[in-house]
Amino acid sequence: MHTLRRLRPWVQLVALLLFLALLVGTGRPGWPTKWIFFADPLAGLAHTLASRHIVTGLLIGSLIALLVAVVGGRIWCGWLCPLGTALDWMPARRSKRHEPDPLPGLRSFKYTLLILILAAALLGNLTLLVLDPLTIAYRTAAVAVWPPLNALISASETLLYRLPLLAGLIDAFEAALRGPSLPPEQPRYGAILAVALLFVAILALNAWRARFWCRYLCPLGGLLGLVSKLAWLRRTVSERCIECGQCARACPTGTIDPDRHFASDPAECIMCLECVPACRQRGQLFVGHLRPAAWQAYDPSRRQLIAAAALAVVGVGLSRADPALRNTPTRLIRPPGADQSDFMARCIRCGLCLKACPTSGLQPGQGQVPWAGLWTPVLVPRLGHCDYSCNACGQVCPVGAIPPLPLEEKRRRVIGHAYIDRSRCIPWVDNRTCLVCEEMCPLPQKAIFLEDVVVEDYDGTRVEVRRPYVVHDLCIGCGICENRCPLNGEAAIRVYAPTELGAVG
Amino acid sequence: MSRYLGRREFLKHLLLWSAAGSALGLAGCGTGSGPEPSPAVRPSEAAVPSPTPETEAGPAPLAPATPAGTAPYPDVAVARGPGASPAELTRRAIAALGGIERFVKPGHDVIVKPNICNAYHGPEYASTTNPEVVATIVSLCLAAGARRVRVMDYPFGGTPQAAYEKSGIASAVAAAGGQMEVMNRMKYRATPIPAGRRIKEWQVYGDILDADVVINVPIAKDHSSARLTLGMKNLMGVVENRTGFHARGLHQCIADLNTLVRPQLTVVDAVRILVDNGPTGGNLDDVRQTDTVIASTDVVAADAYAATLFGLQGRDIGYIRLGAEMGLGRLDLDALKIEEITVEA
Repeated sequence: MHTLRRLRPWVQLVALLLFLALLVGTGRPGWPTKWIFFADPLAGLAHTLASRHIVTGLLIGSLIALLVAVVGGRIWCGWLCPLGTALDWMPARRSKRHEPDPLPGLRSFKYTLLILILAAALLGNLTLLVLDPLTIAYRTAAVAVWPPLNALISASETLLYRLPLLAGLIDAFEAALRGPSLPPEQPRYGAILAVALLFVAILALNAWRARFWCRYLCPLGGLLGLVSKLAWLRRTVSERCIECGQCARACPTGTIDPDRHFASDPAECIMCLECVPACRQRGQLFVGHLRPAAWQAYDPSRRQLIAAAALAVVGVGLSRADPALRNTPTRLIRPPGADQSDFMARCIRCGLCLKACPTSGLQPGQGQVPWAGLWTPVLVPRLGHCDYSCNACGQVCPVGAIPPLPLEEKRRRVIGHAYIDRSRCIPWVDNRTCLVCEEMCPLPQKAIFLEDVVVEDYDGTRVEVRRPYVVHDLCIGCGICENRCPLNGEAAIRVYAPTELGAVG
Repeated sequence: MSRYLGRREFLKHLLLWSAAGSALGLAGCGTGSGPEPSPAVRPSEAAVPSPTPETEAGPAPLAPATPAGTAPYPDVAVARGPGASPAELTRRAIAALGGIERFVKPGHDVIVKPNICNAYHGPEYASTTNPEVVATIVSLCLAAGARRVRVMDYPFGGTPQAAYEKSGIASAVAAAGGQMEVMNRMKYRATPIPAGRRIKEWQVYGDILDADVVINVPIAKDHSSARLTLGMKNLMGVVENRTGFHARGLHQCIADLNTLVRPQLTVVDAVRILVDNGPTGGNLDDVRQTDTVIASTDVVAADAYAATLFGLQGRDIGYIRLGAEMGLGRLDLDALKIEEITVEA
């Protein structure tokens, strides 16, 4: 047991490095980044309930994760979870004695959240999966850590490039990493502050209680905890215990309870084994059990179940009354192939597509989407277009919410339609030729056409000018025209979401 | 006495150190041991100010790349042959100009600049330079003793790696022994363009300015804003902020850039040409098999000749006309010595 305990930080480190490697490699051919989410039984269960679709990988991965919990409790939380590892590395409050929960009943909040998520999923809503620890870890890393890190690398490179000795090294570094590992363009995400804030809040709560998130809030921890009630391997206090209280002090989840003769709850224990060296008496054992562990006061009650489910009904009801569902935001452009009608019931908010998008045009939606679709992907062409040679988002999506279209098929998928703003477009308002949008249009026969007209300028001179116009039946809405429009700020050609009739007449 | 410097002392030290630094710097410049001015940039020519900054008329301020009649070589070499291999067309056109050895000396650092505009289509769609043409030039340079031959462009659609691969150029160049370089943000530098009429300074890829030899290898194709994209237009791939060119008047900016970046050799790939829906392409109906390679030291002349493949004259294209006007080369094909070579299939 001592050896195993010493092994744990290393296992955590390897798991975290693996997570980061998969994150950096997102979208590279053959990189199984989506497997991260196959190991997430909460996402698996909620997705299955909400979408009524079975994803084989997700099903198998979820079952394995649950099976591990049946055998060894919340090993997932204590040994593998990247968010848990980050929390273990954060300074945490350490007390001389066992501390009770800061608020009575707080420990059962994670179950409320879990029931809320699953009940909402049953009603076709996945909004609260933004609180799944794996989606938090991945989204934060992709949206709030990676882009600033890249900006920092770029800034240091620019600074150091002036030193002739380092210039060659920087060239080699760039040649090796830019593109495959470092982003080709600086990613910029509108939701960066909100995404970062959630993560920082979770870290900060660690100062109140060690692993505050895992003890009280984590819905995946709740799910794994419930299953861990059956855990075969679990901690037991033997008759050799002298009730010295050292184990309770060492326990990062506070589940070792002096009031219950220092017994612990396998639903709360993350199998970190920190209590093992604390005990000088060999007063505790990790042995096999076949009977389910006892139900505790904070474990979900029937009342809580009903209340949480009712809350889910109310929440989903409120989300259904969102006017954005009737009057669809005109700029709500989803990834290619995504089915607008049930996308929000299929997307698990993991963020893989955001990281895979080479132009960073796919953004965690916030404002552009109905509120129940918080942080689901939306294309913002002014920040990045949908590249004609790329189909990465569909390839990386772990649940097929964005279908894995072959490139040829993806090139024909209509995600929106471009409209020219004739009150801003240079040839229309300034009588000067500018054909950047037409030039950029990647379609083999172009969706932007040019009309040669002779117009009278302000001083009476006759000017020849070529004016662009869009044929909406041909436009696929990739948005490179909007992205490259040379105007400052808002482009003079903009992509709008497609409507039932195709193009708006 | 304090171990910290007083204000006065500090200023004294500062003065002494900066004086020493400047002296060293000046000495370094004065020794003349610095690198030779790059042949790709001709400051003597570029320094001639343009008398007519805005209008398109006026005398030519710059000397042509090769004054007519002085060289034993033709001004333009055109290799043509239905079904002939692009490699053979390339070799014959360059041979007619005196062979690659006329430009590339042993130990030279060479950059080949094809048109790899995006990652959308393979070479059969004629939106990117023919990979065989590029690879043949790389092989010729290496055989002539070049120390290093790099191939690069900055695509506007898709990542550089994806575009290099899709165009077929990456694998062809690797097989020929050249290196593909992904153009690196750090290497652009603000460079004065003294002879420029519209732009006087721009961010230009430093290695293009520093290379011993630059070989410009455009594909001849349709282009909406420029009408055709050829050799002069192809050099837009070596600058940052290309949108700025469009905003300031594309044709004049291209001509201005060509006063600064002056490749020793232009090889226009017209094996296949794209006659409509350029520069992106994607429709085989817009592709014509013309089995032609045009080589010249005069980019204006090469472009003017290539324009005839589209039924146009050099003066129909704004930047070619401006280039001739500014003395970058000549577009009057009748007055040029043109050698046309027929290559058997």
